[in-house]
Amino acid sequence: MTRRGRRGNDAQAVLETALVLPILLFLVCNFIGVMVHVTVQQQLNSATALAAQSRFQAPNNAVDPSGTRCCGASGAVLSTAGLPTGCRYAAETFYGTMTTYTGLLVWQTGPLCTSGGDSGNATHPQLPGTPYPGSPPHSEVSCDIGSIGPGGVVIPGFLDRTLDPPAGLAVVICSATTKLDFSHTPLAWGVFWTPTVHAQAEALPPPFRQ
Amino acid sequence: MVVPVFLLCLIGAIDAGLWAVQTSAEVSAVEQAAMVAASAGSNPTAGTAPDARAVTTAITAELRSALFGTGITSWCVPDPRGACRPDSAQSCPATPAEVQAREGPRVVVVCVSEHDPPACVTPPPGVPPPYPRGCTDSPMITVRVIGFVAAFVPPGFGPGATGFELPADISASTHTLRFAP
Repeated sequence: MTRRGRRGNDAQAVLETALVLPILLFLVCNFIGVMVHVTVQQQLNSATALAAQSRFQAPNNAVDPSGTRCCGASGAVLSTAGLPTGCRYAAETFYGTMTTYTGLLVWQTGPLCTSGGDSGNATHPQLPGTPYPGSPPHSEVSCDIGSIGPGGVVIPGFLDRTLDPPAGLAVVICSATTKLDFSHTPLAWGVFWTPTVHAQAEALPPPFRQ
Repeated sequence: MVVPVFLLCLIGAIDAGLWAVQTSAEVSAVEQAAMVAASAGSNPTAGTAPDARAVTTAITAELRSALFGTGITSWCVPDPRGACRPDSAQSCPATPAEVQAREGPRVVVVCVSEHDPPACVTPPPGVPPPYPRGCTDSPMITVRVIGFVAAFVPPGFGPGATGFELPADISASTHTLRFAP
């Protein structure tokens, strides 16, 4: 092969590399992004499921006394005075479990503790829960739970009409929504999408609780 | 040059997929372990965390199906009877490197800790019971899977890694039910 021919092959190899390398890196970055998305989704599912179930570790009529505070993301503190203790338990469980990837997450916040939501059916409209008075308005997790207020007043939880239709069954639901922001990571080089991750978990009251 | 770069990207992609599978298994296992631990007190008034080895046994099969080439053990101190002696501080290792220093490379440990509320005492005059605040709360159980999992990454990748391993640190917390003595 002549010197000119070898030089031509070298130039072709450099050109091929220059074309292929960005494409490969782009594909790998996006593959890693998808893997992180899947992992965060699973962790969010796990945190909301445990949060919903832990509500039942507190008595129905237990209310947090004044001055009670709990957990929050990034060192924030939520005041839970006057709210059902089960609501604080759910929040503590959620924040205690959702401890990784926090630098990637941009949360959509809502009221911590609501009541009276309705899943709806053909004859009843779907209703969102109403925040408890004094519920922190900007929490990363929202739970719709029932309780027993002062004087034995029953505050309804979330009515799931797919269970025991058509009357429905009062359950606890916890939900959380966040966006994955890769812009402050090396993946930002090739990942241009910002996926939204949402999880909602439902827990049925144990049959033998008080 | 294209071939080495292609192989590097291929190995990176395989590793990312493997890492996602392993992390998913760990997340699922700690959720299951937290529920097991929350209901596995030695007795209804127990004030110490459940035996970490019992919790580890409950989730080992799930972890082993995904953690290829990684050892799984429990983080506890055996007492003379062979059971897990509750750690007085009930502390889990702070970093995967701490696990590696004690257990060796490519080992994850299952650690169970319990955070108990303060004991209720007679309140000072003018202060309504219960006192102090939060003394009637149920304990909080935390299960953590921490250590290094086997991977294809070369030595020097990641803090504390000796090679062919990636750090893992997944935890789950939940409240547990205890009855007053």
